[in-house]
Amino acid sequence: METATHLLRTGQRGALFQLQMALRDLSNSVQRIGLSWSLAWHDVGARYRGSILGPFWITLSMGLMVLGIGFLYANLFHIAIDVFLPYVALGIVFFGVMTGTINDGCETFVQAAGMLSQTSLPLFTFVWRTVFRNLINLAHHLLIVVVVLAVFGYWRHIHPLLALVGIVLMLLNASWLSMLAGIVSARFRDIPQIVMSIMQFAMFMTPVFWLPDRFGSHSAVLNFNPFYHLLQAVRAPLLGQAVDLHSYVVLVAMAGLGWLGTFALFARTRRRIVHYL
Amino acid sequence: MTPVSITCTDLTLRFPVYGVDAKSLKKALARVTVGGVLGRHAGVTDVTALQGVNLSLKAGDRLSLIGHNGSGKTTLLRALSGAYEPDEGTIEVYGRIAALLDLGLGIDASATGYENIRLRGRIAGLSSREIEEKMDEIAAFTGLGPFLAMPVKTYSAGMQARLAFAAATAVEADVLLMDEWIAVGDAEFQKLAHKRLLKLVERAGILVLASHEAPLLRLYCNKVMRLDGGVASEVVDIRRLDELLDV
Repeated sequence: METATHLLRTGQRGALFQLQMALRDLSNSVQRIGLSWSLAWHDVGARYRGSILGPFWITLSMGLMVLGIGFLYANLFHIAIDVFLPYVALGIVFFGVMTGTINDGCETFVQAAGMLSQTSLPLFTFVWRTVFRNLINLAHHLLIVVVVLAVFGYWRHIHPLLALVGIVLMLLNASWLSMLAGIVSARFRDIPQIVMSIMQFAMFMTPVFWLPDRFGSHSAVLNFNPFYHLLQAVRAPLLGQAVDLHSYVVLVAMAGLGWLGTFALFARTRRRIVHYL
Repeated sequence: MTPVSITCTDLTLRFPVYGVDAKSLKKALARVTVGGVLGRHAGVTDVTALQGVNLSLKAGDRLSLIGHNGSGKTTLLRALSGAYEPDEGTIEVYGRIAALLDLGLGIDASATGYENIRLRGRIAGLSSREIEEKMDEIAAFTGLGPFLAMPVKTYSAGMQARLAFAAATAVEADVLLMDEWIAVGDAEFQKLAHKRLLKLVERAGILVLASHEAPLLRLYCNKVMRLDGGVASEVVDIRRLDELLDV
């Protein structure tokens, strides 16, 4: 089922040709970006069918986790609740989106096997589907962010523009990681578990639940952790704090190199992905 | 506008089939660390599914594909749908393609019939509004009535066939690719499906149908091609079907 009225497939080879085809895949997916949205909405609708709250169920459980961890750790570490709770709330919500996008990425192509093996839909369509699905989830969880920032009065100090830049940088990076996970998981079926373990490890190593001030902003524990920069670029502006310039440098470099590498791998494996499934 | 057509020139398609071992990164790493002693390509088999297939179809052609299981019929259909890319040669198709290859695939079993129709419609390139406009007609064609509001996993095979066929042919496709299963469904549905297929033929579309059932092929097709181990015979008139079946 295709809208296109002309299909041409050749057995031509060569790196340049594969690159062209990969770029065409990307541009086709952008032209039909509405399809990715529809698929993402379908997923969200399908996952929460029959439940009254829909994705807000996850928001609710996240909210409870924020409250629990917020109060518990604030007491354990003797930190003022109005400092710690908003910090943890933003950490859990935004780290959750990154984890969700990357973990779901593992399923991107495997889940779409049926459609991929009988249509010429662009593969990128399914990458955007995963990213959009997690964006829709984020939109629900923003409720927590709004409530926390309002209750604790942080809304007066927000740097909205920087926060937006932070979210864009986070999405740019999460999406290539998601696609990379998708390609590799299609080929090797034991990858999803590995990715999940890595993301869990990253959650504990990243200052999601703990304050990084013990280390100072130049500590290796923080600086060599890409997730620290990703989280910091979104969280700090929302809490009215400044983001280190070198965090932006790391994030832009990471997005550039990451997409370059992932796209190169995609160009190489594009015509084989359907056979992996 | 270019008239509807399908052209394959020297189409060769090989693909690796990955066994369980080849799908494990841990095992792949283990093989690398022992220097390939355990066999470098363990579990990966290269299969030549199609070899030098030449095919030329024009508007109004209805081709039946015959051949044993594993002779390459489905692979050819998948290649024509654009899912598989050739290793050698070219495939060129003019016209909107609708592929009905695997019934269960592309359908979300936990979603309702209505949701699946919407999903399929969107994939076929319809806007949400166009789908809502066509919804009544598609729903009527499936004949599933109230079942459409229920999850597809509760459907029988025949009901799934109705849904898939109705959804896939609701979009005015020029090229219809079908595998086997058209025989599913009761007599009443067969009649409806028959009418719809004839309409497609009237619109000067192309049908490629893979099946083992001679009466079905005679009913719908005017040409026939036989595949043997990925090698295609010549395309001949359907009246010579028996000759090809006997080979």
